[in-house]
Amino acid sequence: MSKITVAGVRTNVQQLLQYSNEEKKRNFLETVELQIGLKNYDPQRDKRFSGTVKLPRVPRPGMSICILGDQHDIDRAKHGGVDAMSSDDLKKLNKNKKLIKKLARKYDAFIASDTLIKQIPRLLGPGLSKAGKFPTPVSHNDSLTDKITEVKSTIKFQLKKVLCMGVAVGNVDMTEDELIANIMLSINYLVSLLKKGWQNVGSLTIKASMSPPKRLY
Amino acid sequence: MKRKVGALEKVDADLPNLQHKIKTDPISYQDDFVNQYGLYTSIHELFLTSPTTTDDTGLVRLRDLIDFISHTADCYPKIAGTFPNDLIKLLQLHHATLEPELRDKIVGSLVLLRKKDMIDSNTLLNTLWPLLVSTPSKSLRALLYQKIVSDLRNSNNKATNHKLNRSMQTTCYNLISSDPASPKGIWAVKLTRELWKRQVWSDAKAVSIMEIAALSQDAKVVTGGVRFFLGGDQEREDAADEDSDQEEKNISMGKLRHQAGINKKTAKRDNDLRAAAAKLKRKEKKKGTPHPLNFSALHLLHDPQGFAEKLFHQHLQPSQPKVRLVLEQKLFVLQLVSRLVGLHKLTLIPLYSYFLKFLTPRQPSVTSFLASLGQATHSLVPPDALEPLVQKIANEFVSEASAAEVASAGLNGIREVCARQPLAMNETLLQDLVQYRKSKDKGVQMAARGLLSLYREVGAEMLRKRDRGRDAAMKVRAGDVGGARRFGHVEGGGIEGLELLEQWKEEQGMEGSEDEAAGWEKWDAQSDNSESDTGWVNVESEGEEIDISDSEDEREKAAAKKRKIEVAQRKKSDKENVDGDGDAAADKPAAEDNTSAAAEASERTTASLEPEAALKREESRISTLATTRILTPADLAKLQELRQNAALTHALPSAKRRKLAAASAAAQAARHTDDAVTAADIAGLAKLSHKSTKEEKVRMAKGLGLPNGATEDAGANDHRSTTARRKEKKAAEGKSTTNREKARKKNFLMTLGKAKKKGKRSLGVQRGILKAHVERGKRGGKRGNKGQAGGGS
Repeated sequence: MSKITVAGVRTNVQQLLQYSNEEKKRNFLETVELQIGLKNYDPQRDKRFSGTVKLPRVPRPGMSICILGDQHDIDRAKHGGVDAMSSDDLKKLNKNKKLIKKLARKYDAFIASDTLIKQIPRLLGPGLSKAGKFPTPVSHNDSLTDKITEVKSTIKFQLKKVLCMGVAVGNVDMTEDELIANIMLSINYLVSLLKKGWQNVGSLTIKASMSPPKRLY
Repeated sequence: MKRKVGALEKVDADLPNLQHKIKTDPISYQDDFVNQYGLYTSIHELFLTSPTTTDDTGLVRLRDLIDFISHTADCYPKIAGTFPNDLIKLLQLHHATLEPELRDKIVGSLVLLRKKDMIDSNTLLNTLWPLLVSTPSKSLRALLYQKIVSDLRNSNNKATNHKLNRSMQTTCYNLISSDPASPKGIWAVKLTRELWKRQVWSDAKAVSIMEIAALSQDAKVVTGGVRFFLGGDQEREDAADEDSDQEEKNISMGKLRHQAGINKKTAKRDNDLRAAAAKLKRKEKKKGTPHPLNFSALHLLHDPQGFAEKLFHQHLQPSQPKVRLVLEQKLFVLQLVSRLVGLHKLTLIPLYSYFLKFLTPRQPSVTSFLASLGQATHSLVPPDALEPLVQKIANEFVSEASAAEVASAGLNGIREVCARQPLAMNETLLQDLVQYRKSKDKGVQMAARGLLSLYREVGAEMLRKRDRGRDAAMKVRAGDVGGARRFGHVEGGGIEGLELLEQWKEEQGMEGSEDEAAGWEKWDAQSDNSESDTGWVNVESEGEEIDISDSEDEREKAAAKKRKIEVAQRKKSDKENVDGDGDAAADKPAAEDNTSAAAEASERTTASLEPEAALKREESRISTLATTRILTPADLAKLQELRQNAALTHALPSAKRRKLAAASAAAQAARHTDDAVTAADIAGLAKLSHKSTKEEKVRMAKGLGLPNGATEDAGANDHRSTTARRKEKKAAEGKSTTNREKARKKNFLMTLGKAKKKGKRSLGVQRGILKAHVERGKRGGKRGNKGQAGGGS
């Protein structure tokens, strides 16, 4: 395909939502994923890129989050009904690799208070950053709920050992316009990250968890 | 009797002849082959009974027969079926005692048989590899290594031979892992490195061989493995560049065609032309194929965290290491560990305290240690681990009393650390260090300035007010404190400069989708010609300069032709009032276009008063443009341009501005977190401020280079005259002196006698001498060829 148009994206999103919400409704909330294939990209010369971008809508509302915090933040977290751990809880893990791995696997993201975050590398070792889940800092002045939505709506583009990526950009419960906005922003951001812009993009595909893929580009 | 001997000799001598005949007509010469093969089997058996005592003629005959059969065996696979196995057995059992020439011949024959597909690569490599590892003979090792590499390259030539690669890689891996303490692993390292360089092996398995090599217990193997990670990728890139250079150099179709038109037409020249055309075509085809995926070895590691930890604990940390590494080797390991830590953002806290004891000016190759520390730092390192290090560098290196090189190295080291983790610095220390920008020494000055400009960007509020500079001071006043001041904070990236693009679009009145299609026009070529486009039109509006390129004009043509004329007019008016009066120029287009732009201008002035409101506005803008349209290639190009323009101060003249932009772009491209920090970065400009002592100058003059292994470019520091250098170059090329030169250099005292006599010669003697001179000239010199010619006739 030679180019991508807003209208084309819209029809694809419509078809996708139609399929997932009416033709074959599943018993869970399907996530919509943007799959990217790169081309003409030499990972050694062009250097690898990574970047995060905040989407207008939360793509995965069901993300589980854990607060690692001091007393103040733990109280706030309990108030908001979010899981929380204190530094003593972390010390109890005793740098045990398996337990830390388990912790990292249990949650999708972590938030830590400003006071505690500096100790995280010492307390937990490489476990969290290895899983790509190093906590986001939150200070006492920030609103915790805002922070949580921010973390939830932030997506990360990162190239691993292959030239393709997939990121969750939305779910099928969102309206057409919301989904399009999320998809557009992610595409635009990705393209602005790439050195040669569109010349580096091989393919763009959107797909809900159980739907057939729809090629955008 | 005489005739018979002659015939025998003839048969012997005619093996090449027979070989040729067999190749042209195998069936009719089958009997001859069978005869020779029989001869070979008998000699072979004889040889096997007493391999060491066979005489020379026997050896020679055996060698010739092996050569002959290996060349012709493919014509009679049934008869010579066991021949390859014979050779393999012979080589395996007797390689240590075989006569070298025969041994090499057997190796060569095996490779030949592989080429003729009598044996497969696997068998060949399984035969040669154990020999390479075990043989004591150096020449055999060289031969085997070369054959193995070339065979692996050949079998991966057309398509990757995964099966063969996998088995060979497993063999290499096992060689090291089975006995980590033996030096034999060096062959696995050598082979892997060579094949990596040639892009034959470029997968994770090859990397894992090197990984285990780096963790082995033999110093040479360890260094081999470590050096691979540090330099293997660069090597591969260089090799690839070299290849492409060669290809480009030797084909120019136009020239060939021209020559073919002029020169005499022969079949050979025709063929040459055709071959060149085919090669060019192949090259063109290659251009279209997808780029080979070459990930750097450091990225292909399976478990970088585990690898770095093991390397550190095994080679650097222990008091009783299993391998004794000298300082240089240890530095390599340290470089690798720190590179891994920086690149993959690993957590290896003990590494930082390890650095502590090496950070003194007296430590040999301390710049390398500083560089390693720099690249081991990343944004997730806790600042309290780094603070003592920065403090120590400042205390030990940077003081009024220390030498200029030392101080600049220290400052550069601190800058490298702080560039990656700005939190490692505290306010008092920073303000202290920044003072060194007033130093008399150039190197120190530059280093301190580097630190200053870094903190103007990442933490201006830590600097003293007068050091902040205009841009940073304005930022601080606006309350725009970067989020980098919080540990673990990740900058949520937006599309930089998007609001500028949106604004620009508004001004151009280009909304809707009719221009979307135009934005994709010729986008494949756009990146190439966007710079070379001529006819840049400067349009000033709202006091901000915006450039429109030709391609954009075309787009406008499609959208609204009218506007283009307007633009041209505006350009004229701009030229009229070149120097400033920006307001007037700004107001005109704004009034012409739409009133909304003017309203925006007033908004902007209020925005600067209320930064928060401005921020919110910007956010909403980002979401409208980026979420409703797709950025076309033209948009992206514009974005880039706007971003560059906006980043620079408008007060500067445009030429200077452009230069600045180019410089910053180059710096951006050059410095990437993926890149390593080298000792040269740390040493910085110190070498400029270095005044060499007398002894050093003498050494330099003698051409011995700098003392204590300082790595400086000899060419830059060569103070000798051009003549002296030319002379040395000539001597190095092995050219002798000319007669003139000899005459000129001849010792004066030796010429004195003749010169004295010359004036006192009598006329007769003088005449004789002149005559002799003329005659000698005719003859062609003292030893002219007259005499020879006479002897010949």
